Amino acid sequence: MEGERPYLSASGAPLSLRRRQHSASCRELAVRCPRLQLRSLSAATSAVWLAAYGLFALCQNSMVLSAAIFLTLAGLIIYLHFVKIDQESLLVIGSLGIQVTSSYASGKESTTFIEMSRVKDVVINEAVHMQKVIYYLCILLQDPQDPEGVSEVVPLFQSSKPRLDCLIEVYKSCQEILDQRKTAPQSS
Amino acid sequence: NSPAPLPERAIYGFALFLGSWFGFILYLIWAYVPETWLFSLGLTYWPQKYWAVALPAYLLVAVGIGYVLLFGINMMSTAPLNSTRTITDNYAKKQQHKKFQEEAIPALRDVPISEVNRMFFLPEK
Repeated sequence: MEGERPYLSASGAPLSLRRRQHSASCRELAVRCPRLQLRSLSAATSAVWLAAYGLFALCQNSMVLSAAIFLTLAGLIIYLHFVKIDQESLLVIGSLGIQVTSSYASGKESTTFIEMSRVKDVVINEAVHMQKVIYYLCILLQDPQDPEGVSEVVPLFQSSKPRLDCLIEVYKSCQEILDQRKTAPQSS
Repeated sequence: NSPAPLPERAIYGFALFLGSWFGFILYLIWAYVPETWLFSLGLTYWPQKYWAVALPAYLLVAVGIGYVLLFGINMMSTAPLNSTRTITDNYAKKQQHKKFQEEAIPALRDVPISEVNRMFFLPEK
């Protein structure tokens, strides 16, 4: 099923969730984060340049102004390439595994693949985070030797932090795929 | 261990009350009476009067820092989002499963998070 719906993040920013079904056992869910606002960019740049101009008025050294321009440019590039995440997506392939992709604003993409034998379940967990209690989706990993215990927890959608309504949609989609591996014959 | 009033507790309370008044009067004497008068009485080895101002100042700053410190300790001991402590702990892992009995209240146990999720989020309303 295709479609984009509007949702909210934990801090109130608008998000959109896009679901695509590639086949009966393969689904892709992508959460797009809000773009970099022009007003916050202008506010940060003006603040840095005002501070630099104030410093220049104090010490009369023109290097301060050039350093401020260079810092603003370098800071923006580093922010776009390492910090600002544009879209986080989850690709669930029933017989193969789960692939988590984060794409940054500069175009960089970082992916992680977890094979299906290590995946115990995908659940919505609640935890205390920065003086708030938030719901977040996470993959529970199991040790192949110990199928009862949870060896690791991988939180998903860390920078977009969608709210519970969006998480329930993603959870239901994932559970439909994960249920298939119980009904399908086990192949070792 | 009840908090009811007892004769021993009344005596301890009164002794503490008298002791705290004595300590306060002693502190005021140390802080205000000039050094020459104390020397003429024979009390030469008392601490410097600088400390009569410094110690309360240190105490108040320590109380203020204590607020920030407690907040920080709380933040540090909160489990991060990727730790298994948000899902289970030693007691839950080692719990025994009691058999289900008819007509009896089920025994208290830790329900696994997968079951809880299925119950909350999967049934269609």
